Amino acid sequence: MTESDGDSTGRSLLSDPRLIIAKRDLSSLSREKTIVLALLIQLFVAAFSSFLVVGLTSLYNPGSVSAGEVVVGVAGEHDAPLVRAANEQDGLRAITYPTPETAREAYQDGRVHAVMLAGDSGNRIDVEVIAPQESIETTLIIDQVRTLLEAVERDERIARSDHLDRSTVPVPEKVDASPYFGFTYTVLVPLLLFLPPFISGSVAVDALTEEIERGTLELLRVAPLSLVDIVDGKALAMILIAPLQALLWVTLLGWNGIDIANLGQLLTVVTALTTLVVTLGLSLGVLTAKRREAQLLYSVLVIFGFGILTFLPEHPATTVAKLAVDSPTGTTTAHVVGYAVAAVALFVLARRLVARTDPEGL
Amino acid sequence: MSGGPPRPRGGDTTTDDRSSRTGRLGDWSRTRAENVTRIARWEVTKNAGGVDRRTVIIAVLAVIGLGAMAPVAVSQGVSLDQGIYRVGVVPEDPYYDPVFLDPTFRVQNPSSAAVEAGKQEIRIVGPQVREYADTTKGRAAVDELRSSTMRYNDGIMGLEDNQSAAFPVVVNLSYVQRDATRVVAPGEQAIAVDSGEDEEAGGGDGAGGGGDGSSDDGSGDENGDGTAGDGSDAGGDGDSDVTQPEGGSNVGSSTIGARLTGGGTSGAPSDITPPFPFRSLVLAFVFVLPLNFVIQAYGSTILSERINRRGELLLVSPVSRGDIIVGKTLPYFAAAIGVATAITLVLRGSAISVLAIVPLAMLFLAATFLGAMFARSFKELTFVTVTITVSLTSYAFVPAIFTDVTPIALISPLTLVVRDLQGQAIGLGQFAFSTLPPTLTALTLFGLGAGLYREEDMFTQRPIPYKVLDALAGPITRRRSVALVTAVLLPFVLVAELVVVAFMYPLTQASIPFGVIVFAAFVGIALVEELAKSLHVYAGYAHSRFDDTLRTALVVGLFSGIGFFLAEKLTLIARLADLQEVEIGQAALGEQALLQTGVPLPILVVALLLAPLALHVVTASISALGARRGRRSYAVALVIAVAVHVAYNLTVVTALAQ
Amino acid sequence: MITARDLRKEYGGFVAVEGSTFTVEEGEVFGIIGPNGAGKTTTLKMLAGLVEPTDGDVSVAGYDAGETEMRQRLGFLPEESPLYEEMTPLSYLHFFADLYDVPDGVADRRIHDTLERLDLDHRERPLGDMSKGMKRKVAIARSLINDPDVLIYDEPGSGLDPLTTNYIIDFTRELGEQGKTIVFSAHNLYHVESICDRVAIMNEGKIVAKGDLDELQAEHGRTEYHVYTTVDVPGSSRENGNYRRVVESMDAVDETRSAAQEAGGQVVDIRTEESSLEEVFLEVAESESAVERGSGARP
Repeated sequence: MTESDGDSTGRSLLSDPRLIIAKRDLSSLSREKTIVLALLIQLFVAAFSSFLVVGLTSLYNPGSVSAGEVVVGVAGEHDAPLVRAANEQDGLRAITYPTPETAREAYQDGRVHAVMLAGDSGNRIDVEVIAPQESIETTLIIDQVRTLLEAVERDERIARSDHLDRSTVPVPEKVDASPYFGFTYTVLVPLLLFLPPFISGSVAVDALTEEIERGTLELLRVAPLSLVDIVDGKALAMILIAPLQALLWVTLLGWNGIDIANLGQLLTVVTALTTLVVTLGLSLGVLTAKRREAQLLYSVLVIFGFGILTFLPEHPATTVAKLAVDSPTGTTTAHVVGYAVAAVALFVLARRLVARTDPEGL
Repeated sequence: MSGGPPRPRGGDTTTDDRSSRTGRLGDWSRTRAENVTRIARWEVTKNAGGVDRRTVIIAVLAVIGLGAMAPVAVSQGVSLDQGIYRVGVVPEDPYYDPVFLDPTFRVQNPSSAAVEAGKQEIRIVGPQVREYADTTKGRAAVDELRSSTMRYNDGIMGLEDNQSAAFPVVVNLSYVQRDATRVVAPGEQAIAVDSGEDEEAGGGDGAGGGGDGSSDDGSGDENGDGTAGDGSDAGGDGDSDVTQPEGGSNVGSSTIGARLTGGGTSGAPSDITPPFPFRSLVLAFVFVLPLNFVIQAYGSTILSERINRRGELLLVSPVSRGDIIVGKTLPYFAAAIGVATAITLVLRGSAISVLAIVPLAMLFLAATFLGAMFARSFKELTFVTVTITVSLTSYAFVPAIFTDVTPIALISPLTLVVRDLQGQAIGLGQFAFSTLPPTLTALTLFGLGAGLYREEDMFTQRPIPYKVLDALAGPITRRRSVALVTAVLLPFVLVAELVVVAFMYPLTQASIPFGVIVFAAFVGIALVEELAKSLHVYAGYAHSRFDDTLRTALVVGLFSGIGFFLAEKLTLIARLADLQEVEIGQAALGEQALLQTGVPLPILVVALLLAPLALHVVTASISALGARRGRRSYAVALVIAVAVHVAYNLTVVTALAQ
Repeated sequence: MITARDLRKEYGGFVAVEGSTFTVEEGEVFGIIGPNGAGKTTTLKMLAGLVEPTDGDVSVAGYDAGETEMRQRLGFLPEESPLYEEMTPLSYLHFFADLYDVPDGVADRRIHDTLERLDLDHRERPLGDMSKGMKRKVAIARSLINDPDVLIYDEPGSGLDPLTTNYIIDFTRELGEQGKTIVFSAHNLYHVESICDRVAIMNEGKIVAKGDLDELQAEHGRTEYHVYTTVDVPGSSRENGNYRRVVESMDAVDETRSAAQEAGGQVVDIRTEESSLEEVFLEVAESESAVERGSGARP
């Protein structure tokens, strides 16, 4: 009594109970090392998907990875255009055989990887391709063969342009482009930016339902703060960590030579989406008061919501991709603003819901 | 392990009659079954009531809504890379149409200044790309323009009356088996060609399940609805979604949908797709997905036993903890297998698919069980579950990608599923090789968790690393038991080593020197093995199970080395799966490779048995000596042990190479 | 300090508390006793503002129950001690000190003093690993973190070993002697008698008797106290390694305690006969007049 408490009017900003709740939740995350684990998981998911895509791209587009040369046996009456095109193609070498039989023989003996027999069928060149049974090598061979045949097709179309009503568009020169560029910005970056919000929401559900289930919420409620304060504090902590993680990923990507543009807008999107899912998670926690139910509903509804967003003019992933790759449009900006407004609106609504909730049921 | 022999429920087995032994066994197993069923039933009813109807209804509605949304979303053409490249082009230019039709591009007025300022990637003047930004983005844009132009051209040509002039080249692709397996071409690394069984040529990929080699000519539009849906499931490849053709004919579509059906074997050149068992792969993923939901619920129920000491009552009931664990696990296991069976029926797989999922389901559940025994709160459990999901899914999934590429893929049981769905035969040896390690690992994990399923460990707040040490130290009662623990840890070693090897495999495809990869593999494997030989020794010391003498450390090291050596001989199972065909596999499984050399028998015996035995004993002793002195010196000793191990392996390999 | 008027709480159709009316003066120690399910916890939670009464009002220190100002002056100890298991006592107490906006310096001193007084070591150990008694002590320290005027303690000594129970009861008595207003519940009559100025007896949701202890005791006969000591004192008999003396008054209890201390031993437990509590209940339940007189005794 003699000491300074008793009047709660003169609270300083830093001793706001919401901040204290947020601080405790954050320190509990770091004490349990869960935040480290969370970062590792995200890193792993990113590495895993990159690994997957590099693997897949190398299988589809083997030229991008492997240096091996494909040797093709060519025979048949229309072998000349094939050989011509082959001479202009890297990574493929054509050997002409006098007859299809000798070519097949060479294939059987293992002297060539594949055989192309260019016969005639009406007015077309009928190419019979013989390749080995499925293996990674086959994938590479077929890829090279296809590139070759597409070149032949282009040449032939030009040669026959008199018989065509429409003209084709010239194909631009090949440039030395990274096959992973599109993936990086349209899949990897959105993935890395959307994982932190999702995890934050899930942790928010736990942070609240755990207090309810263990009975510790009651002690917070006898302290001079309201249920809204408690929920606010938890929301604050969980919303705060998402953009920080996003920032970390952007920095890491930057070190790897992947520059991310429009950082401010991206962080706004991340913060807004985090606010949306965290608010959803905490509302579910307040409504169900049970972890199991809240978590189940949370994951289902977040996925559902993500699905709904495909009906927007621009999916959030596209918004993120366009911002990151620095091709934003007015639509993109409108979406960013939209997410921010939606986040604030939902947050206000959720606070009203919490304020109306009867805490005795928790 | 330390689960202890399950006690019979009643203490009424007093008749020590020899003749009643079978009767007692019958009683015993009947009591087991009754207890397990009782707990399982309780688990099911409790949890059925645990989630109320409202929750279930909302969840189901949301899932139905998702299902309803999918076709609409797909028909609208979700393209993630919408408008990421900006192209300056005017409607008069021939490039306008291909650029306009591909949503990846955004049409702008051509402006050299905009290109300079980084606001436009490509500037087109007339029929040529006049200028493009010299950045990664600019080059990627040109590459994208190149492929859209090709697709556009094919589309245009499809409208032509004179189809023979529009598609002057017709391709017929057939896959033919041949005897020679290596093509020796200059400057090329020889790649072993898979020696499949069937002589049959052509449409070898049709066996991929659907078997509808759908894109048989230029006008094929097989990527209408269903397959495109699959494509978005696959989700890995951003580029391919772009190429959703804009109505009209789509001769050369290269969407994932087309790839999923196995690729064309005839048609225009652009119809030919390199073979890839992607369809089976996506389907195999369907098998793994439900497991992740099952373990969510399972982890929750295990942890809730530990919260507020709820599980104490069950612990004091006259039911052994083995029964409790089995009983609580059974419903979730049954659910996992039930779902797998349903999926198998829908996909027309065989029983092998279900059997192959059994060890995977066990592994998921076992890891979750142990994780739930470690976690201190639901928050921590969430992270543990996600870790398990991510790591086990990649363990199952990544090797399966290489199903048709390398036998290493068999380390994942999912590979069996993929093969089964492709209609390939699976040998008994392959099945055992694929399923035994995960099964043993799962059992070990359950054993370690069961060791913690007791009063003094269940309700403490110890951090996870200490809990791991507790779990490892649990079964160590005397110096001899070290050998047993080492042996029991071997399944982990096997799986971990194979994963190391599997991760090295893609590197061999890239242009990284083979020696570097082998060295990396050696370091990884040595680390795994040395950890397996010493971590529980360290745990034993941390729990003061051993006295602090030099002799004890050496004896413990000896036991650990012997335990490992004996158990390692089990890796001979690797030979069943013809793993030695793979060069890395040979190097990795080091000592076994000796068998194939023509070294005289006595030397072979010495080299095959004594040398590795000596190695394991020496390295285990080194780390045991370190473990005696605490954490830091253990870490140092471990590094030394790994170095010795790597040095030894390198010596063996170089000796072999001569 | 505390006024409860005609409190009523219904859960669904079940009436947990009905017609509870009582007043607690400043500095008074007020005990609520009764068997399990009598409505003690619900009553205390209504006083603390955790549970909203279906009917009636509560005012604490001049505020409505549940108001922020009132909570700032309240220390509440629930029956169980739900703690953040992963926190240490020090971080836990500091967290609540922050919530109650206690300045850091004051909080440090207060936490230190309270833990000293409660004789609690292991301040850096996770709460989840502590014994029940230690957890209870931390929970009590938490209830004092804001130096409250009003303490509401639900069964402060229940579920603990006799030594810890006595320690906590003694501590509560000291708090009362320091001038705190305390309302607490118990089902062990001795705990109530040793520290309370006045008691209310609850049964089946209703207050069946209340008033001065002496009054109630005079009305309903004496209670037997079983005092267990570690040493032989006059009139005691050996039982289970300790000595037991049966006495009939609080004075006799105190006398036994000092006798034991003089002999170099201590009192390990004091129990009342379960039946004696029941007898009082039965007796007061039978005579409606007891209620009348009890409520008439003090406004």
